Amino acid sequence: MKTMHDTTTAPTATVLNIQRMSTEDGPGIRTTVFFKGCGLSCSWCHNPESISLKPQVQWIENRCIGCRSCVAACPEGALVFGAAGVVIDRERCAGCGACADACPSTAMELLGRKWALEDLVREVEKDRAYFEQSGGGVTASGGDPTVQAPFVAEFLRECTLRGLHTALDTCGYSSRQALETILPHADMVLFDLKILDSAEHRRRTGAPNERILENILFVCDYMKASGRPSSLWIRTPLIPGATATPENIAAIGAFIAQNLESAIERWELCSFNNLCRDKYRRLGIDWEFRDTALLSRDDLDGLAAVARRALSNPSIVQWTGAPRVEKDSDGGPGKRHLTLVKGCTTC
Amino acid sequence: MNTTTATAQFAIKEPRGLSPRITWLRDYFFSGVERPWNNEFMPWTTGTPWDVQYDEISYYIVPETYAFLQTFRSSFHQMARTVHLHDDFWKWSLPERRAWFVKEVMVNYMPHEVLPGDLIAGSRFNLQASRCWTKKELQERDRLIYGKKGARAMMKWFHDHGFGNSGATSGHLIPDYKRVLVEGWKGIYEDLMARYYELSDREKSGPRGAQLHAMMTAAVMPKELAAVYAGECLRLAAKESTPSRKEELKQMAANLERVPWEPSVTFHEAVQALWLSHMLVMSDENYPGPGVSFGRMDQYLLPYWDHSIRNGMDREFGKEILKCFWVHSNTAYDAMIRVGGNQGITAGFGQLFNLSGLGADGADMTNDLSYALLEVIDEMTPILEPKPNVRLHRNSPEKLMDTVVSMISSSQGAPFLLNFDERSMAGMLREAKRSGVGHLINESNVHEYASVGCLENTMVGNDRSGTVDNNLNLLKAVELALTGGKDLLPFTDLLTGKTEPPARVGPDTGDSTKFISWDEFWNAYAAQTRFIIKKCVEIYEMSESVRARFSPTPYLSCLVRGCAAKGADVTRGGAELSFTTIEGVTFATTVDSLLAVKYLVFDKKECTMEELIRALKDNWAGNGVLQAKAKNRAPKYGRDDDYADEMARRVMDLWTDETWKHTTKSTGRRFRPGMLSWNYWVGDGFVLAASPDGRPKGQFLSNAICPSNGADINGPTANANSVGNALGGKDASGGDWKGYLNSLPNGASHTITFNPSLLRDPEHRTKFKAFLRGYAENGGTALQVNMIDADMLRDAQKHPGAYRHLLVRVTGYNAYFTAIGRELQDEIIARESHNKY
Repeated sequence: MKTMHDTTTAPTATVLNIQRMSTEDGPGIRTTVFFKGCGLSCSWCHNPESISLKPQVQWIENRCIGCRSCVAACPEGALVFGAAGVVIDRERCAGCGACADACPSTAMELLGRKWALEDLVREVEKDRAYFEQSGGGVTASGGDPTVQAPFVAEFLRECTLRGLHTALDTCGYSSRQALETILPHADMVLFDLKILDSAEHRRRTGAPNERILENILFVCDYMKASGRPSSLWIRTPLIPGATATPENIAAIGAFIAQNLESAIERWELCSFNNLCRDKYRRLGIDWEFRDTALLSRDDLDGLAAVARRALSNPSIVQWTGAPRVEKDSDGGPGKRHLTLVKGCTTC
Repeated sequence: MNTTTATAQFAIKEPRGLSPRITWLRDYFFSGVERPWNNEFMPWTTGTPWDVQYDEISYYIVPETYAFLQTFRSSFHQMARTVHLHDDFWKWSLPERRAWFVKEVMVNYMPHEVLPGDLIAGSRFNLQASRCWTKKELQERDRLIYGKKGARAMMKWFHDHGFGNSGATSGHLIPDYKRVLVEGWKGIYEDLMARYYELSDREKSGPRGAQLHAMMTAAVMPKELAAVYAGECLRLAAKESTPSRKEELKQMAANLERVPWEPSVTFHEAVQALWLSHMLVMSDENYPGPGVSFGRMDQYLLPYWDHSIRNGMDREFGKEILKCFWVHSNTAYDAMIRVGGNQGITAGFGQLFNLSGLGADGADMTNDLSYALLEVIDEMTPILEPKPNVRLHRNSPEKLMDTVVSMISSSQGAPFLLNFDERSMAGMLREAKRSGVGHLINESNVHEYASVGCLENTMVGNDRSGTVDNNLNLLKAVELALTGGKDLLPFTDLLTGKTEPPARVGPDTGDSTKFISWDEFWNAYAAQTRFIIKKCVEIYEMSESVRARFSPTPYLSCLVRGCAAKGADVTRGGAELSFTTIEGVTFATTVDSLLAVKYLVFDKKECTMEELIRALKDNWAGNGVLQAKAKNRAPKYGRDDDYADEMARRVMDLWTDETWKHTTKSTGRRFRPGMLSWNYWVGDGFVLAASPDGRPKGQFLSNAICPSNGADINGPTANANSVGNALGGKDASGGDWKGYLNSLPNGASHTITFNPSLLRDPEHRTKFKAFLRGYAENGGTALQVNMIDADMLRDAQKHPGAYRHLLVRVTGYNAYFTAIGRELQDEIIARESHNKY
């Protein structure tokens, strides 16, 4: 059980999730802390529950046993158990989490819990052995961690003091001050560049991109001046019909080539995935990309080629994620041997 | 085993790079009953009407066979062919009779075939040989076995009432094969003879003399058998028209004329000597492959490998010899080739060998033969015997780690178990300390340990630790603490349909509904734990003492140091290191149940003890909310949660401390703790009542030291940390060995299922390698790596409760599989079916 400290005196943050043994958020094996709250509201966002800083609740239907404890527990009367299960009145819900506390089956989930600094540091330190063996560490992600900059800076500082490698994963839409608070405590930065055309950026994410572009330049200057953070990765989500156009990738590539190339270690093109579809439904949001197909392997290779052409060092470009499942052309199931008991299944 | 949590089958890896010779032998093996002959059990009798072949005691730990014990006994007897006995046969002692009989059958009665292209001789070894009892011996033995208080009835009572099972079982040790290679059987024989002649006349005619004499008879069996096979090779050579094969057969004959009697010189000789010596252990015990393990093959075969390579042996030919050895090892399965649809292949075998690992002074012992053996495994996979266990440690070389990870990724799961030296060695040193055998296990030799069966750690060549002899459901103590010593449910015998009311089976620890504090409950639990261990010890004594009197294994005793010196059979505690292991089954279910009682009844007062007991009796029916709270709200072991893991440690300390207190009366074998659950965690889930952790009767228990199904929601690192903590964690001031603590000298089985995307490219394989290195620091003694596959995901759709922890990972995004909609689940399954990482 987590022993929460007195939240009135100790610094706390609203944390969506802590992902241990994360292998996708920087080098090595990492523990990624997803801080809630983001300045952007990208239409494709994979973590829609991370945008608002406020705690929210969601109902996971296939965990529900229909006991209605949540309905009874809600002080706002925001829950109704109807024919289709629990319906949450988002206007009324204050995100207090009483329903989640009452739910016996974890069907009602509170997204965003308060964590005290000391507890969070203790939690991430548990995987020190794996960090040390892998060159991994702790990644502050989100949402956008700069929204809770004072806490995040303090958190990363504590990690650094304990010899843990630290990474900041940011969308870049933050105040200069927030960045200045955090950067001294980050060993690396994962920085998103999504769309280079500012008007299009605004249309898709709710904000223009000038501040983001200024911030990435600031990060580069900061790194050069202070030697820390020492590593920078650019990440671009490949969203069909939005960011995943050759024009946009070429434009970002040109921007990188012109301003950043000497400073960055890697440019990751992160392939669109739709695993978050149910989250949108649960949060009662109609998701624009609900029926969008994943990109094909050819699409991804093509976009990566565009990106590589833009750079003088093409080897820093890679795409990650799952491509669309293609029709299997290499025949049916292979020759089956006797059904062997695999390995030692019993001991 | 076709269960919902067992790893599902996947598109099976194809063998590769096999020569026509090995391809033929392998395909021939898999043609199963279509083969013109096989290695099925063959029964042999002294010809007396009371004769018995099948020794049921070895099967007391296999509950599936209980209904058939009498059938096996009588059908083997009826099928048995008569052996013409030596004139003095019935004047000899039992060990002498038995040694002679097994030798006579192996040398003069069993067929001796050599397969086309095979480079190793030694084909038929699955015997059911006469137990060689006189009528009087049989009557005495049967009196101890049968009857209301006999060993069989007590063993069955123990199982029926949910305690687990216990019985003195064959195998499960590592014979001193190195000695055969270095000294030859000649050396062993001469040593026995010298010891025999040192005895006084009085001793010679007593049990010590009889035992040594029996062992001398057994020690010439390999020589005589090799001579027969040499003759067969020469006969085939004479008929052979292909010159290269003719030469091979002549070489085999030449080898067999020397080994295993003489010390081995070449690699071919060493492997031949190893195989014949090994298969005869299975003949001697009449029990194929149950953890008769090889130990560190890449160490003791290395001098011969090096010698032959230096003298011009082609490395690939060396591997070819090993591949023949592989095929031979698999014929152990032939014993019951007609059982089931899978030519007798079950997980109940385990001729294990270790690779790599630490040497003296922290040196890594990986060598060219280690890699050659890994290549053999990789090229032969999927094939199951002998089972590899790769020993890893802090200083395992990168090349080995790369090979291991690459084999895991290409097989979509590990074709071997992984053992972790530091934690394992700490456990062995704990054993030395607890049982006063520091002269036999200490800092200077503990690196020589090896694993038996799957992962059960022992010393080599002088150690019988009965690693599967006692399988105790720790959970039973929780049940008895709730009821004050009675079964929670009435017992119905499925064979007779008779139902008995809940019986008092344990001590009265008080009415738990009157307990006002958690401590009172804990104390009741502790008392019941002491009771179930004592009960297990008593039940074991019944079969152990019978085996000691009536089922000697003189041949095996030649290969276990201590037996000759003491003049005592290995079944009578002759081994220098003579232990028997209680394997704690249902560990996580027990810990989680205690956590749930504390949480539900005492801390949160979600229900009264009375209500909880009622719910358990009703198998949670009508108590869905309480059950859901038990499952989801109560803390669980396996999440790296200090609070829950503290309970795990407490449970571990209690039951292991108690286990060390016992020793067998008849044979002086100390009890030691381990955690291996074989398949009991599945079957006994239908025997044991519902448990406070939310598990209903009929659902699986937890497996070995693994967290309960679906409980490890914080991922592999958290899971591994919990396991390491449950074993004792670390102690900066020294611990049992270099800072490591380990309560389980036997070791603990741990399986983690990973997402295959973790191995998709070199960068991620490097991360996985680092995970294994992290496991060496924080985890347990052994790890089985499994991979999620499409079938497992389909199973998760059907049984979401058992897969709450199943995380699907796509770059930058993770989701619990069971928390996403059906449509997306199907999409992920489709993706997983197509992905070839």
